[in-house]
Amino acid sequence: MRWLDIKEGFRNFWKDFKSIKFGLFGLFLLFIFIVMVIINPYIVPFPNASSRWRDITHWEDNPVSAPPVWVNWFSSVKRAPSTIIKEYTFTEEKKGNLTLNKLIFEYEYFYDLPPLDIIFHSYVVGSPVIILSMERPDGQVITLTKRVISKIAGKDIRISIGNDSRTESYNFGMKYENPQQNRIERELIKPTKILFAEAKEGILVKPSSLQGTYKIMVDIILPSPNDQVSKSTLFISGGVSGWLGTDSAKRDIWSGIVAGVKWALLIGLLTAFTSVSIGVIFGVVSAYLGGWQDSLMQRIFEIFVGVPLLPVLIVMSAIFRPNIWTLIIMMSCFFWVGPVKTVRSMGLQIKEETYIEAAKAFGASSSRIIFRHMIPLLIPYSFASMALYVPSAIVYEASISLLGLGDATIVTWGQILHDALRGGAVINGLWWWVIPPGLFIALMGMTFAFIGFAMDKILHPKLRTR
Amino acid sequence: MYWRYCLKRIIYGLITFIILIFIFSTLFNTTMEKTLKSQIEEEIRAETLKMDTKMTPEEMTHFIAERRTFKQHLYHLDKPIWNRIVWRAINVLSLNFGKATIMKSSAGETDVWEIISECLPRTILLFTTAICINIILGLLLGLKKAQKAGGFMDKLTSIGTMVVYGMPSWWLGMLVIMFFAYQLRLFPSGSLHSIPPPTGLAYYIDLLYHMALPVLTLVVIGFWGSSYLIRNIVLGILQEDYIMATRTRGIPERKVLYGHAMRTAAPPIVTMALLSLLASVGGNIIFEGIFSWPGLGNLYWISIEQNDIPVLMGNLFITTALYMAGLVILDLIYGFLDPRIKVGGRR
Amino acid sequence: MIDNNIILRVKNLKIQFFTTKGVVYAVDDISFWLKKGETLGLVGESGCGKTTTVLGLVKMVPTPGKIISGSIEVDGENIIPLSENEMRNKVRWTKISMVFQGAMNCLTPVYTVGFQMMETLQKHKEIPYAEAKKRIINYLKLVGLSEDIIRRYPHELSGGMKQRVVIATALFLEPKIVICDEPTTALDVVVQAQIINLLKELKKKLGLSVIFITHDLATEAEVADRLIVMYAGKIAEIGTNENIYGNKKLSHPYTKKLIQATPRLHKKVDELSFIPGTPPDLVNPPTGCRFHPRCSEAIERCKKEEPPLIEVEKEHWIACWRIN
Repeated sequence: MRWLDIKEGFRNFWKDFKSIKFGLFGLFLLFIFIVMVIINPYIVPFPNASSRWRDITHWEDNPVSAPPVWVNWFSSVKRAPSTIIKEYTFTEEKKGNLTLNKLIFEYEYFYDLPPLDIIFHSYVVGSPVIILSMERPDGQVITLTKRVISKIAGKDIRISIGNDSRTESYNFGMKYENPQQNRIERELIKPTKILFAEAKEGILVKPSSLQGTYKIMVDIILPSPNDQVSKSTLFISGGVSGWLGTDSAKRDIWSGIVAGVKWALLIGLLTAFTSVSIGVIFGVVSAYLGGWQDSLMQRIFEIFVGVPLLPVLIVMSAIFRPNIWTLIIMMSCFFWVGPVKTVRSMGLQIKEETYIEAAKAFGASSSRIIFRHMIPLLIPYSFASMALYVPSAIVYEASISLLGLGDATIVTWGQILHDALRGGAVINGLWWWVIPPGLFIALMGMTFAFIGFAMDKILHPKLRTR
Repeated sequence: MYWRYCLKRIIYGLITFIILIFIFSTLFNTTMEKTLKSQIEEEIRAETLKMDTKMTPEEMTHFIAERRTFKQHLYHLDKPIWNRIVWRAINVLSLNFGKATIMKSSAGETDVWEIISECLPRTILLFTTAICINIILGLLLGLKKAQKAGGFMDKLTSIGTMVVYGMPSWWLGMLVIMFFAYQLRLFPSGSLHSIPPPTGLAYYIDLLYHMALPVLTLVVIGFWGSSYLIRNIVLGILQEDYIMATRTRGIPERKVLYGHAMRTAAPPIVTMALLSLLASVGGNIIFEGIFSWPGLGNLYWISIEQNDIPVLMGNLFITTALYMAGLVILDLIYGFLDPRIKVGGRR
Repeated sequence: MIDNNIILRVKNLKIQFFTTKGVVYAVDDISFWLKKGETLGLVGESGCGKTTTVLGLVKMVPTPGKIISGSIEVDGENIIPLSENEMRNKVRWTKISMVFQGAMNCLTPVYTVGFQMMETLQKHKEIPYAEAKKRIINYLKLVGLSEDIIRRYPHELSGGMKQRVVIATALFLEPKIVICDEPTTALDVVVQAQIINLLKELKKKLGLSVIFITHDLATEAEVADRLIVMYAGKIAEIGTNENIYGNKKLSHPYTKKLIQATPRLHKKVDELSFIPGTPPDLVNPPTGCRFHPRCSEAIERCKKEEPPLIEVEKEHWIACWRIN
């Protein structure tokens, strides 16, 4: 088989493949997945999701178990979505050694349910004093919290008003409540609910939303010229967040899903490729050698076939705790048995062909005959097999991860589902946590099923209906 | 002819199984021994507590050391490694799995075999039911597809097969539970029966009620595949010369399809059905876990969570045994149904 | 005009296959007849339309093929308008039966031979089991097979035995017409001779009307009285054996070449003669006479006009411009 033969074989194959519509659709889906992997950093709010999945601080600012933002489109009660405000108006005043900075962030609030928290991030050098206050659309100004920083060389700081402004919000709210009628505990109130509510009676019990433009003002007092506060951003942690919501550990699920695409592709393709290659070579060699070598290889084959794969994988994972690469190797060690029977019978047929006899008569070595004459005929079948093995490999890995036995250094869709199960997503109806990971597993499975079945259709023209 | 084939197949199966058990014993030897050693320590501790505390510390130490040597000898831990592996393998083959570390069967037994044998029938019940329904639906749909091959319904249902090809059954189970059990509260979210289980006829109805969601999930995912496979098998046969010849002889279409075609399709279809059943023996661990169905699969889950190695190992061995037995039975049935094997070659 | 001697009359039969690559003109306007008690040979290269024609006679043309036009009269009745049910109940096997080529795969592998024969017999004739069994055994004896064949499965029989079973099955309903589609092609020479002798015997004993397809002229000469030469879906020549093999002058060029290509046992052959070129593509058949690209005697007219079948002497038709 020369390079030209391979090219021509491929061209013929592509001509047949093009005519099968669902095969093309499968290729199109695969293309989209690959594009997702490439543009990963640009389409997710948290590009480092994969490596920082178990790092709590990375996800600090997100709300817990928040539904996706588009839920608002279907609901009459609109929740404030999470956003980041990076722009602010900046004024500076100097009084001797002291510098006074004032940052004003504008926040448009036109929703029915307020955000869960407002978080101020900044990079600080020295010992500044930072005061946060809020000006409401009805003109009222509330001081939220004050933070005094003791001398630091240079660090990111985080001020969350959800925690720190409890007293101030309570006091504000109590101005409008009748203490005799409504006895409310300070510890039970949610600060943001009051801050964003209409100033009237019932503000602490049943707040109604005050919509409009809010100004979050940050006054920074820098005692010495060397102190500085820079890179300030305001993070609004909303009731809905992200394209696919957040989980109970505040992680943005969409980032996790996209991060999982490359792992799924890797696991699926690598396992499928390795195992089918091994299986095909094994089958062909077994057919070619014949005799006692063939019988021996078949006995070895039967031993591997008798292994119930998932239980053994699970037990091995439970005991040896493999990482993703070891897992791929383990899976390949068992998946290879799949193509062997078919390949062997095909090999036995090819062996009887006269050109094989001719090649032997010319003195061709066994490996030359096997690799140059027999295996190229099996390549179409190999590719069809590989395509159909990818979904299995992905589901096996997802099953292992679901049991908590997966590789903890990466994010896969199975792991997200494991967390969902543990986090009570099923019981609490957190559908945005449960549906996407499994849906993507199914979608990728569907993609490769389309491709594989299309290839299979070309290989078995007998089952064509025309 | 057939008997010789049967015998050969059974012997091969047994040999393969024994080899597998030896491989497993070797692979997991260290872990199992670790567990065994800690179990021995537990036993010794229990014994010393029960005893008279009239001994001096030296006597106590001496006693513990003595008991330890005795027990280690009993469990062959003082012998060379091959000896230990062989002994363990023989134990397994005689169904002596030892005692569970933590788990207990519903009767309170800690014997691993008891725990496992309790769970086995439940797994069989669930998956056999689902597969029977799958096969029936698959036959109905597959035959229709083969008769009108290339038609609209054929193409549509083939797409359906591909859509669910990569869908994990347990994920669909999660969705189904989330929706039907928790949101709509129509069905229970799992388990074998309600607590406390009712008696008499109500017991069986309760059982069916609990089986409804898992079986439904399995069927929804499963019947596409079986109908597609049956369609291919039957279609392949319908294109054979003898089908055309039979039609030329004037045999009515009904007989051609349900007699000649289906009878010839029986061996591969039965193979397919049994293989799905076998796949469910090991492959549906997660599924049972999601539905809290107390079968063999769920046992894996629990024994991993509770780190109960003896149960895990025993379960693995039983699963392998069932799987191998299934493969052998599969070959035997195939041989029975296909006269080319049953009756053999030319006289 | 009903000629009582003619048991099968085919008029202007056209069968086409509608494939993804185009329409295949497999059988293009052929007409012939079969007389009672005669054996009609049908010869031609692979793919010339022989099998398709006879499949058309029992309306079993496989999809995507269709009978486009023409008539097939069996015993005076045109069977083309008949429904599938009518074909099954009245024509197939009772009026026309077939012995297939390569009997390897004609019997369902999972049923015994006896079961399949009984099934066929009882479908068409309402006779009690015991009588049916007797008839089956009789016919098996007729083809030289013993009674215990009934219990055997097809894979247990040799090629020759299977072929005999198929012949017995084709005969036991005593149909008017028996079609043999290359019944001996896949068998070795010894068995071939046995089967041919058997067929000749049966022909005499039962007075069968037979259409015998083969690509081997020697076999044809042994078995048949008249023969049809087909080429590329059309009939090139019809005549009795004497006319065609005897008369060297009045012969279609294709037939001439066929006869030349058959090696003789007693003649020394230095070089095997053959017909150059390959059979034509039936999606785009050649214009005019279909044989003209490979014909050494072709003239201008052959490329443009299709020659009709013309009776050149008694019971001898040729479709060639050279002859006419």
